[in-house]
Amino acid sequence: MVNLIEELVLLTIADDGSVAFTAGGSGFRMSAIGACLVELNNAGRIDADLDAVHVLSQEPVGNAAIDRVLALVAAGPEKPVSQWVRQLAPLSGEIVRLALGSLAQRGILAQQESRFLWVLKSRRYPLIDGAEQKEAKLRILSTLLGNDLPTPHDTVLLGLARVGGVLEGFLTTAEIARLDDRIEQIGGIDLIAKGVEIALRDEQEQIARSFLAPIC
Amino acid sequence: MNVTFETATAATVARPQGRLDFGAAAGLQQQLEEVIAQKPAALVVDCAQLEYVSSAGLRVFLVAARAAKAANIPFIACGLQASVREVFDVSGFTRILEIHADTAAALTHLGTPAA
Repeated sequence: MVNLIEELVLLTIADDGSVAFTAGGSGFRMSAIGACLVELNNAGRIDADLDAVHVLSQEPVGNAAIDRVLALVAAGPEKPVSQWVRQLAPLSGEIVRLALGSLAQRGILAQQESRFLWVLKSRRYPLIDGAEQKEAKLRILSTLLGNDLPTPHDTVLLGLARVGGVLEGFLTTAEIARLDDRIEQIGGIDLIAKGVEIALRDEQEQIARSFLAPIC
Repeated sequence: MNVTFETATAATVARPQGRLDFGAAAGLQQQLEEVIAQKPAALVVDCAQLEYVSSAGLRVFLVAARAAKAANIPFIACGLQASVREVFDVSGFTRILEIHADTAAALTHLGTPAA
């Protein structure tokens, strides 16, 4: 059984075991934090609405990455999902590393050290049998291609995968464009996934403003 | 959270009252699933007395609507207060669920005008 963060991380693993560059992008960093918040919501540690994330219990869930997010949210003032996502996004590297380590420990991924040009160290995470990654891709595809209402989990997975830029790893640009209406319709119906979407949009707007400010 | 149910020929009407947050979500979900298992002609959730919906509460609507659709039972939400309506609008639930102004409008839509 993989959690939502691990599912997102698995979706960034290419066939050769390399982690897609999207995993370092702003959208993916925010999606990783959103995944932690969703796991905390499912575990009854937090709840969220349009105004704020509310801490219901500070009892750890037993996952280092998720518990770190819980501790930080519990220590801070109540604020919207989007603000927490932006504030905690720098933690995502550690969250992804912990997820990769956990997946390797459970035999879902291998962990291989290699050298590029004999000098630069790189690490790859080839999938052992790929079943969990296939399952995550199939869930997203069946959500996108079917007409049924998806499960809350599949809704969040699609929403976070969309914001995180991981759909591009297994769908072509043309396919994404063709499915855009359905992605838009389903991907934002979870309030936490919506908060992640808002966080990314806010950041992009801020960047755009900072570029335009000297001109306007 | 208190929920009352009214069963008529055209539909079963659920009326949740108060706050639908994490603490109330599992209970309401179970009650709605039990109603769906009884195969009513339709399920109308009258939200006129629902004051608040959180992320956990919103998922109850998705799970119930999904279960109703799988059982071929029309699912309608109605009577949304402004604060709840805003949550439905922002999340896009208004685009995936059948929503009406009130129970009378929902029943009329189902083909049985309210008495």
